[in-house]
Amino acid sequence: MHPAPASLRDGEAGDARRTSLAQILVYELRVRDAMSKPAITAAPTDSLRVIQTLMKSRRISGVPITNAEVLLGLVSIEDIINALDRGYINEPAESHMARNVITLRDHFSLVRAVAEFDRHEFGRFPVLDGDEHLVGIITRGDITNCLMMHLERRAEEAIAQEATLRAARAADMAANRVVIRAHVRTGDYDSAGKISQQMRQVLRERGVDPQIRRRAAVVAYEAETNIIIHSLGGEITATIDPDKVVIEAVDTGPGIENIDQAMQEGWSTAGRLPRELGFGAGMGLPNIKRCSDDLKITSDSQKGTRLHSEIRIGKPGATP
Amino acid sequence: MNPPATLQLAPLMAALQAEALTVCRPETVTGCYISDLLSDVLAYAEPGMLWLTIQTHRNVVSVAATKDIAVVLFTCGRKPEPEIVAEAEEEGIALLSTRLTTYEAAGKLWAAGLRGENSHE
Repeated sequence: MHPAPASLRDGEAGDARRTSLAQILVYELRVRDAMSKPAITAAPTDSLRVIQTLMKSRRISGVPITNAEVLLGLVSIEDIINALDRGYINEPAESHMARNVITLRDHFSLVRAVAEFDRHEFGRFPVLDGDEHLVGIITRGDITNCLMMHLERRAEEAIAQEATLRAARAADMAANRVVIRAHVRTGDYDSAGKISQQMRQVLRERGVDPQIRRRAAVVAYEAETNIIIHSLGGEITATIDPDKVVIEAVDTGPGIENIDQAMQEGWSTAGRLPRELGFGAGMGLPNIKRCSDDLKITSDSQKGTRLHSEIRIGKPGATP
Repeated sequence: MNPPATLQLAPLMAALQAEALTVCRPETVTGCYISDLLSDVLAYAEPGMLWLTIQTHRNVVSVAATKDIAVVLFTCGRKPEPEIVAEAEEEGIALLSTRLTTYEAAGKLWAAGLRGENSHE
């Protein structure tokens, strides 16, 4: 038995609104994903005896009767029993097969297929594609197998992903690296400074020189407020290594039109609210530049802005 | 850079008729900076300073913490919300409030000998 996938395991167990993976899968997966294909078929001229042999050798309980991939009818195991009972087992299939067979389309979701199995009492449905050709046959067992297979695959993927994450964390620990990452929402002035605060804490615990700690904190704080004030939202990552702090701020737009202009002190595009709160003085990027040992900013009106700042630990730089 | 002229906080508070909003309070302050622009404070305030501002929202605490500012004095009788005071307490930053205007408060601090040098041009 494989462990449940991460989405089932580590979620809040009490949350009734949470949809199980199996529930998602029955909507995602199609009949074509679960059906047996190609279907084992017989010709209309084949005798019921031939079909009986076919059922026995292939261990199936229903055989679609086709002519050039066009479905004409279906012979089920009940039909064979009747034929044996009443003595017409050697007659051709076309004279006794069920016609007007109910079929499923290959693009139907599995949840719809399950509903059709519940509505009709058939053990199987022939499956047709968009051109009315028989492309397979589906039973409840096929649906169960398909779900089990996909659950297993998802579980394996989740386990593999977790292992990758764990390996990354172990590598960070070995390198004495702390990574702080947080989403930053546009206009969320109240949350400004959270990342900077966490980073300061780590630097303080590591006994990093207070001046360097303040420089890193200014960069993180200004980069965070820039995202809050000017962007559509983004993410800040502070990577603290023994020899340096790297702060990366990435937003989703709208981008800085003229970076050289934005680097000038006093130049700002901030609106009224941020200005009233004391932001938007046009000093953010100059402050970041002053406090960074190395700064790269790229901006694109399509992709947004990416800021990369490095502050070296243990080497003199600008004074805050 | 000359070593900052450190002054005792208690006589300064008396001169400002300042009310303490937090329990935490440093013995001394190293100088003073006045600005209502946060980035300006981030650029030019020095650690251990007394910062005068009329801004009372929570970013004031974040900025003070970022720069290791010791005391924030809200002028013109302004006071922040209690949860912001609590945050400052947690960060170890003292908050004061005075009814004086920023100009009047600055005059009294200067008269008491508090200076505001920083390492920038």
